Amino acid sequence: MHVFGSNELVEDVLKTDLCVGCGACVNLCPYYKTWRGKTARLFPCDLPRGRCHAYCPKAEVDLDELSRKIWQTTYDGSPLGNHRKIIAARAGEKMLPGAFQAGGTVSALVTVALRNGLIDAVALTDRQGLTPVARLITDWREVVNCAGTKLMAAPTLAAVNEAVGQGRRRLGVVGTACQMTAVAQMRTNPLEEEDFSDPIALAVGLFCNWSLDTRQFQQFLSAKIDLAAIRGMDVPPPPADILVLTTDTGTVEIPLSQIKPIIAQTCFTCPDMTAEFADVSVGMFEGRPGWNTVIVRSDKGAELIEKARGEKYLETEAMPEENIAHLSRAAAEKKARALRMLMRRNLLNNKNGRHAAVRMPTEIVERILKG
Amino acid sequence: MSILIEGKSGTRHLLMGNEAIARGALEAGVHVAAGYPGTPSSEIIESLAKVCGPRNLYVEWSVNEKVAMEVAAAASFAGLRSLCVMKQNGVNVASDFLLHLAGSGTRAGMVIVPCDDPGALSSANEGESRHFARLVEIPLLEPGDFQQAKDMIKWAFALSEQIRNPVMVRSVTRLSHASGNVVFGDLPAVDAEAYFKHDGPALDPLQGVMLSYPVALKHRGQQEKLQQAVSLFEQSPFNTYEGPENPELLVITSSACCLYSTEAIHLLGLEERVGLLKLTTTWPLPPQLMENYLARTDKILVVEEVIRFLENEVKVLAAELAPRIGIKTFFGKKDGLLPTVGELNPDLVAGALARIFKMDYEPVAATYAAQAAEMAAKAPGRDLTFCPGCPHRASFWTIHNVLEMDNRQGFVCGDIGCYSLAMLPSGFSTLKTLHAMGSGAGLASGFGKLKAFGMDQPAVAVSGDSTFFHAVLPALVNAVHQQSDITLIVLDNSGTAMTGFQPHPGRPVDAAGNPAPQIDIASVCEAIGARVRTCDPFDLERTERTLLEMLADTPGVKVLVLKQICALSPEKKAKKMFEMRLDESICLGENCGCNRLCTRIFKCPGLNWDAAAGVARIDEVICAGCGVCASICPAGAISKKEVA
Ligand SMILES: Cc1cc2nc3c(=O)[nH]c(=O)nc-3n(C[C@H](O)[C@H](O)[C@H](O)COP(=O)(O)OP(=O)(O)OC[C@H]3O[C@@H](n4cnc5c(N)ncnc54)[C@H](O)[C@@H]3O)c2cc1C
Ligand code: SF4
Ligand code: SF4
Repeated sequence: MHVFGSNELVEDVLKTDLCVGCGACVNLCPYYKTWRGKTARLFPCDLPRGRCHAYCPKAEVDLDELSRKIWQTTYDGSPLGNHRKIIAARAGEKMLPGAFQAGGTVSALVTVALRNGLIDAVALTDRQGLTPVARLITDWREVVNCAGTKLMAAPTLAAVNEAVGQGRRRLGVVGTACQMTAVAQMRTNPLEEEDFSDPIALAVGLFCNWSLDTRQFQQFLSAKIDLAAIRGMDVPPPPADILVLTTDTGTVEIPLSQIKPIIAQTCFTCPDMTAEFADVSVGMFEGRPGWNTVIVRSDKGAELIEKARGEKYLETEAMPEENIAHLSRAAAEKKARALRMLMRRNLLNNKNGRHAAVRMPTEIVERILKG
Repeated sequence: MSILIEGKSGTRHLLMGNEAIARGALEAGVHVAAGYPGTPSSEIIESLAKVCGPRNLYVEWSVNEKVAMEVAAAASFAGLRSLCVMKQNGVNVASDFLLHLAGSGTRAGMVIVPCDDPGALSSANEGESRHFARLVEIPLLEPGDFQQAKDMIKWAFALSEQIRNPVMVRSVTRLSHASGNVVFGDLPAVDAEAYFKHDGPALDPLQGVMLSYPVALKHRGQQEKLQQAVSLFEQSPFNTYEGPENPELLVITSSACCLYSTEAIHLLGLEERVGLLKLTTTWPLPPQLMENYLARTDKILVVEEVIRFLENEVKVLAAELAPRIGIKTFFGKKDGLLPTVGELNPDLVAGALARIFKMDYEPVAATYAAQAAEMAAKAPGRDLTFCPGCPHRASFWTIHNVLEMDNRQGFVCGDIGCYSLAMLPSGFSTLKTLHAMGSGAGLASGFGKLKAFGMDQPAVAVSGDSTFFHAVLPALVNAVHQQSDITLIVLDNSGTAMTGFQPHPGRPVDAAGNPAPQIDIASVCEAIGARVRTCDPFDLERTERTLLEMLADTPGVKVLVLKQICALSPEKKAKKMFEMRLDESICLGENCGCNRLCTRIFKCPGLNWDAAAGVARIDEVICAGCGVCASICPAGAISKKEVA
């Protein structure tokens, strides 16, 4: 893994619109700040190697190295990443009610982890107006306050860094695929710090095809509706082809063709649809509202699901094979699309000292492109 | 009590040029003095303010130079001698009134003293007031030493009364701020009575109305007055000549250059070959006097600072006189012998003389540059920076950071004051424009209307509290009325700090130190229709949040008043608010997570980097105890304890 410094991060990511605003570089030092969906660096820093660069999911991510460190196995480019099983789930009868995006699986898992002391705190994503903001939650009863998807890229990981800075070590985090990549990099001690200990006790990933640019989305919507009245947002599965906003006075449908131009450009370079470096990854269950698709990846993830089910915070079912096949196809397509974009933008496996966004073995590149 | 009124007639005193000017005004029986602070002029009004009681004098720091000139003119109209003082570019501000005043005429003596700043030692320009005298057709006097600085002021008052028009007496930094011996004259009685007679015959200069109408008639009268002045100039005892009867070269000079020229001639031992004509009545030039000296030689060098004024005037006169005095060869700025920017000094004048006389003279040793560089390398680095504990450092820290976070390539239009320094790294290079007083807000008002052309960068302007009253107000009114989209940040440090804490309308005292009604900047802005917030810039967190919100807020005019008293203000009496401590065991130094934020970027002079130990340290002697660095340290290594 090539780790450079802050100046390289600015040149390679911030200035090239590759930054998704995940917050991985925020709160490590006084230089990076997040505001209204954008990450800014305040002053130059000439250190040759920094955590900002090491953690960023858009700068020199070596997927093979990361896979070896997190999963003790090579990166094989398989559509859904390393996993044990795929199940269907939703919040169980004991779970507090909330405005869940789908089945409330994410909120339920985090609640159980907090209640049982598997984690001391969890970094979630709330919103202020229409701007997603990071929240560090320590009281399990407050988890539901962050329920529901904010379809914009969020600086969630700023809360992780802040908590680590305060000395916390048993942290949970919920985030999109890129955020899970950043979290994985955080866990591998990329700067080889002597007093390092992995601060992440639970990583819950969210499936993600793209996220919206916060500022453009706000500008786009403010011309159409009262932002303060928005209660939730969702992109129903194809063939719907719309974005649905739930407001105080009903729902508003916006054709996806209008939404596409405000997708964060960096998302077109993202090869991960199912948060491959999380303990568990959660997404929608296409065709079954109120349920989630859950990919169980680690022992820790599997144990948590068992515990949640045992305590009646979670209800699970088997996942139909055709749904898995469909999900797998969609994930493979995203991978291939992203690699083509990375290659077009000269961001894949660069040589001769030129920086890359993503690195993976060339035979894997070929395998993904062949489909 | 001040030496300016205690010194007896005939005694000799060491005075700063500006004090000599003030004493001259006192000896002339001045009763009203008004000005706007500006280096190098400020000490004139300050010196007069100190003696206003015993000398029955009204002194004010006016809101700007134009108003100062109007206040002084009113006194003249009402029969009181008055003085009006400003720095060079202040004359630009006052010039509209001055043009009309020169047309209407004055009654009791009125003297205008601009102090120019060649080399822009304390200015953002090298502007010149001399050209204004010619432009508005009033007499121009330029004292060449400290005694003349005093004596010519008195003479100028008499001249003004003789021609019933204002007289300009121009000083420069090296006269205003240097000191020399001055022999005092008498002080007149202090009683005076003011009355504005306006019901006599309309055109009667002492009883009628004060107007520049009818323009052509008045203008002709004004030009006749100027001719009277010229005939007085012919006899003036202040124009002097020294040197041989028929010199090989005649040096014509004025103002501080009289001293440089005398020294240069002496340096080269040219006393027997060069004549030196020191002119003090520089516009309009007295033609007979000039003919007398121009006729004595064929070669003429004109020595003056910045752009050509005297040189051109002398050349025009010489052309007119050519049939009688013959054709002359001129040296000076046109031929590049002397520079047209920056100050002069004896070396530069000596260099010019040496080239004319083809002498082997090296004004500066060839090794000088190398030696200077070597010495400079040994000296500790000294950035041009804000003082320790300066509120501006904290303000610009936040302004800079907020604009970066806002991330729309916003920028700040700067203005005139200590905070102009924010164009440099000490203010995080935040200012992107810097022009005249009030121009920051005016430029922002213009930028804020360019949205229609696709510009979505936030336009921010800064202004000091004194600058706000001086010239920002009209620009702010404009921005509100035109529905421009701007954020004005008023850096209110409770005084005209840059020039020495002169009061302004936002302060509860006047020039003499008496209580005065205070005008609240926030209320004024609200009344105009701006949305106003106020913060303490030392509270970085709240200021940052407030400004971020203001920039993200709906369009329109927003004003943020950042109120915190100047670290050097006499009111603070150098008292520390906090005792600061830096825990070196916590300091992150050059590690990832900090990389010397406090000593590399924030750079308050109270913080030092100990490279050997790899930690920051607080210099207790220099630290002003503002406490701000405790809020920027990412490691919490700096703590503050309130001083009881
Ligand atoms: C930007 C984005 C795009 C997505 N795209 C897809 C997709 O294409 N297909 C799919 O199947 N699923 C997608 N999801 C996941 C899906 O919307 C649900 O989050 C997931 O199914 C979990 O549902 P739940 O009912 O268990 O969530 P809940 O129990 O309601 O919990 C939602 C959790 O998501 C977190 N969260 C909300 N917004 C964000 C955000 N912007 N960034 C990081 N964390 C956030 C909150 O902290 C909360 O804990 C996406 C999610 C996001 C944030
Ligand atoms: S770490 Fe996240 S926020 Fe920071 S530069 Fe990378 S993508 Fe942007
Ligand atoms: S598509 Fe990828 S880069 Fe974009 S938000 Fe989702 S996980 Fe992050």
